[in-house]
Amino acid sequence: MTALTLPSPAPASRRTRWLLRLHRPALCTWAALVLVLGAALLWLWGPLTDAAAQAWRQYNACGLTARCSYDQAAILRYKDLYQYTTLAVLAVPFLTAAWAGGGLTGRELETGTARLAWTQSVSPVRWLATALTVPAVLVTAGTTLLVWLHRLVWTAGEGRIDTADRWYDILTFYANGPLTVALALAGLVVGALAGLLLRRALAALFTGAVALAALWAAVGTVLPHLWPSVTRVTALGGDGPAGAGITVDEGLVTAGGAHVARPLCGIGAHPSCAEAYARLDAVGYYRDYHPRAHYWPLQLTATGLLAAVTVLLTVAAFWLLRRRTATAAVRRRGTA
Amino acid sequence: MTDTAMEAAELGKRFGRRGGWGLRHCTFRLPAGRVCAVVGPNGAGKSTLLALAAGLLAPTEGTLTVLGGEPASARARVAFVDQHKPLYPQLTVAETLRMGADLNPGRWDARTAERVVAGGDLDPGKRIRALSGGLRTRVALALALAKRPELLLLDEPMADLDPLARHELMGSLMAQAAEHGTTIVMSSHVVAELEDSCDHLLLVGGGRVRLAGEIDDLLAAHTRVSAPAGTSLAPHTVVTSRTTGRQLSAVLRPAGPLPGDWRAGAPTLEELVLSYLRNPEAPAPTELQETTA
Repeated sequence: MTALTLPSPAPASRRTRWLLRLHRPALCTWAALVLVLGAALLWLWGPLTDAAAQAWRQYNACGLTARCSYDQAAILRYKDLYQYTTLAVLAVPFLTAAWAGGGLTGRELETGTARLAWTQSVSPVRWLATALTVPAVLVTAGTTLLVWLHRLVWTAGEGRIDTADRWYDILTFYANGPLTVALALAGLVVGALAGLLLRRALAALFTGAVALAALWAAVGTVLPHLWPSVTRVTALGGDGPAGAGITVDEGLVTAGGAHVARPLCGIGAHPSCAEAYARLDAVGYYRDYHPRAHYWPLQLTATGLLAAVTVLLTVAAFWLLRRRTATAAVRRRGTA
Repeated sequence: MTDTAMEAAELGKRFGRRGGWGLRHCTFRLPAGRVCAVVGPNGAGKSTLLALAAGLLAPTEGTLTVLGGEPASARARVAFVDQHKPLYPQLTVAETLRMGADLNPGRWDARTAERVVAGGDLDPGKRIRALSGGLRTRVALALALAKRPELLLLDEPMADLDPLARHELMGSLMAQAAEHGTTIVMSSHVVAELEDSCDHLLLVGGGRVRLAGEIDDLLAAHTRVSAPAGTSLAPHTVVTSRTTGRQLSAVLRPAGPLPGDWRAGAPTLEELVLSYLRNPEAPAPTELQETTA
């Protein structure tokens, strides 16, 4: 008898369709954001980079002549748009976290519509699975496209535009690699978890965004230590420690080979500094840093770390929902 | 199919780790096919009980069996209308019903949904956010009824309906119960609202089940008496008693024949409910639950 009366739950395609219908404004906003930002990046990549590179060629050709004619507006246009698009790409994880907390779970729990879904033959676990999977696919696709375009823009400008960001400039470092995609996915889960925990749309919106900022700060702190750094030693007297990239540590090397902190005395060539260095028995500078070759190892290990954290947060979200609602075939404390 | 719609044993739900108990030590059994009134004051635990039955909350202790299994595995066969009638405000009435059809495959009865909605003169193209409270209730009930549930849980379903709509929708509910043998459990703090349509009572007060059983049996087991002040009511079980002037009035469960000089009468359901709510110490007649099974 039970076999006859137990209908199969609604297939995933139907749940997906209704999720997309319910979040149509968010879907349209995301599509518009990806299109507009993508178009801006393409414009930057083609005409604006060419114009700015041309202006830099003109400027450099002037040398030291007093009168120089070059297209300064093109350089500034490139610089501004590069900055704005970079910030926009990096805002995606925050937008995702805020939306996931406010719109995806927080509002549903606040208004009780989640209960409506859970009594339409859709179990809470299935509901959350759909609510996370579908946005995850869309967020991954959109963010990957944006990051790829950003990288394309940056590569096109490298070596041609004198003021272009270096690979290790913090915003460019993030916006150029998969770490931003991982951050967007982490934002989705962090926001959804905040919504489940707080059950208030507005509170979850802010908590989601703030929690993502904290996660980002944590990733930024551990990132330089995720891959062994390179040490470069230079002679005293120059401009200080050398080695362009992500600096982990720097200071002085003593005659005994020990690494010590650099005293605060301004430029090394200054007499007071020379005195201080002599007292420390310093023979050179050192710098522990990540050269350009470490870009991908750093990006990929950090992405992997963040993906692991995201998986843990996802497990926490499901655990919370299962604990709070009735779940089939799970024995709870006290039911014996 | 099981002949028990709902059965609770020492059921309890606490909110938060150190929070208060919304419901505790609840033990009762509701036979299938009944129309059951869950009655009690505000904050008594009625909504908690219904949410537990709908699988929306997990019990902190004890067990609750719904249609012979866990509430979670009965999800497809149980319908629930929340007290606040949550619906997606951005959907139209027609979309809401289409969603119900999509998410309840194999059970959906579109004609029932249309009939319930049509009774309210509702424009199917109108968005939920533009509807009045009463019309929203109608859509929520349409969703619940069209699912053709075996157990229909309604939390304060009629609160924002006008008398005419209330009468009509109650009629739809009773027709559903009669036609499909649906068990209906509905809560209210207005006893009179449920008196005519319900045949089973679950009285919840202070987070406990105070009284459970067939309404006829409960009424038959209790007597309202008037006697001179100072009369001893022993050995009968007194639910509540009150002395005004030289008159003692009480509601009690007779343990044997009553003295001839007492004026005795059958209490109304409302009197019975009130007498139990007035006296939180009144012992629950546990034997009644067993005999009604």
